[in-house]
Amino acid sequence: MEKEKGGLLSKLKRVLGEVTYGAALHGQVSAVLKTRMYIEHMFILMILGDMLGFPILPPYYSLRLLPYAVPNVQSWKHRFYRERDFTDVIYG
Amino acid sequence: MGVAWGLRDIVLRDGVKMVIFAGKGGLGKTTSSAALAYAAAREGKKVLCFSTDPQASLSDIFERDIFGKGEVEVMPNLYVVEIDADAKINAYIQEVKQRIREMYKMDQIPPEIEAYIDSSVAEPAMYESATYDAMAEYVARGEYDLYVFDMPPFGHGIRMLTMADVLTSWVEKLTEVREKAREYDEIARKLRSERLVKEDEILNELYDIRRKLTTFTDVMRDRSKSAFFMVMTPEAMSVYDTEKALEAFKAIGIKPAGVVLNKVLPREMADNPSPYIRNRYRQQEEVLKMILDKFGDLVVAAIPMFPREPKGLDGIREVARHLVDGVTRIW
Repeated sequence: MEKEKGGLLSKLKRVLGEVTYGAALHGQVSAVLKTRMYIEHMFILMILGDMLGFPILPPYYSLRLLPYAVPNVQSWKHRFYRERDFTDVIYG
Repeated sequence: MGVAWGLRDIVLRDGVKMVIFAGKGGLGKTTSSAALAYAAAREGKKVLCFSTDPQASLSDIFERDIFGKGEVEVMPNLYVVEIDADAKINAYIQEVKQRIREMYKMDQIPPEIEAYIDSSVAEPAMYESATYDAMAEYVARGEYDLYVFDMPPFGHGIRMLTMADVLTSWVEKLTEVREKAREYDEIARKLRSERLVKEDEILNELYDIRRKLTTFTDVMRDRSKSAFFMVMTPEAMSVYDTEKALEAFKAIGIKPAGVVLNKVLPREMADNPSPYIRNRYRQQEEVLKMILDKFGDLVVAAIPMFPREPKGLDGIREVARHLVDGVTRIW
């Protein structure tokens, strides 16, 4: 009974925590991660601009960083080439 | 002239870590680099003589096959490097590909990534970048007392030196962006009450590149640690070129420690029975007046025209007597 009570309490605590997180912090975390993604894409542009036709710098040191950027190259190109309209101003 | 003559007082003193010889092709940069490196090694300094010139031939002057062989000890304390930049680039490309395969357990690299890597080999600046990286790497490792760099001919030499600023500011900017990304990772971690945020390997790579580049540029820009010389011959065309080169170097903030005059016809040529040689000597006298007028005290050493091309350690020793100890005086 005691064990069940403890389990219930911790479950309640977790649920409360999740509700609080969802209500108060989820929006902020999403915004932070979105900004983080923009920074990541800007970073990839700075090292792999050549790939899209922006001759940014000699690629010698870019190549040293390229292996780390490989998983993000597709989403970066996709986002870069995406058609944009005025709603992007509002919704990013 | 009441100024020091010969490079001894300028270069072979405590604190000088790097010497750069620049100038047009074929005027004696490689010979001067080899001679200075030889003299410094004889004084007990551990010296690295490094050729960045694709046409240079330290192999020829030292009469040893050193091209692409890394650091070769040609005599006690004297190590020579003639970089094979193409081989270095190819090895580097293979290393990058291998790293991608290992990191993501891939048999095949995505075609667009592979195409990008392969195409970057053809970039015109790749050669300079690879050479510059090798120079910076040697200086950052700090295993030698003195580094003597034989630069590529004038235009490429300028490009090589401006690369210092461009690369450093590029790496600074990248690091700044990466640190910003790290801050956002940290905020997200705190908001989610997570304990750890995974280490950013890109940031570590950037710190490593930055350390290497700044060690190199700090030495290069410090007048007490580095000396930069222009090499020229006593011919009018060489005077004009040197004048232009000095202006270009001044524009990028590099002030020369001196000008070295190479292939100076010795005085006895004035009475040579051959009118051809006498004329050449007279012409040289006129050009020397021009040089005195334009560069004056900047000229710090003169190397005579030898009866035969200076080669091997004996030939280099003879050049060093003139370059370092200032045996030949022209005014």
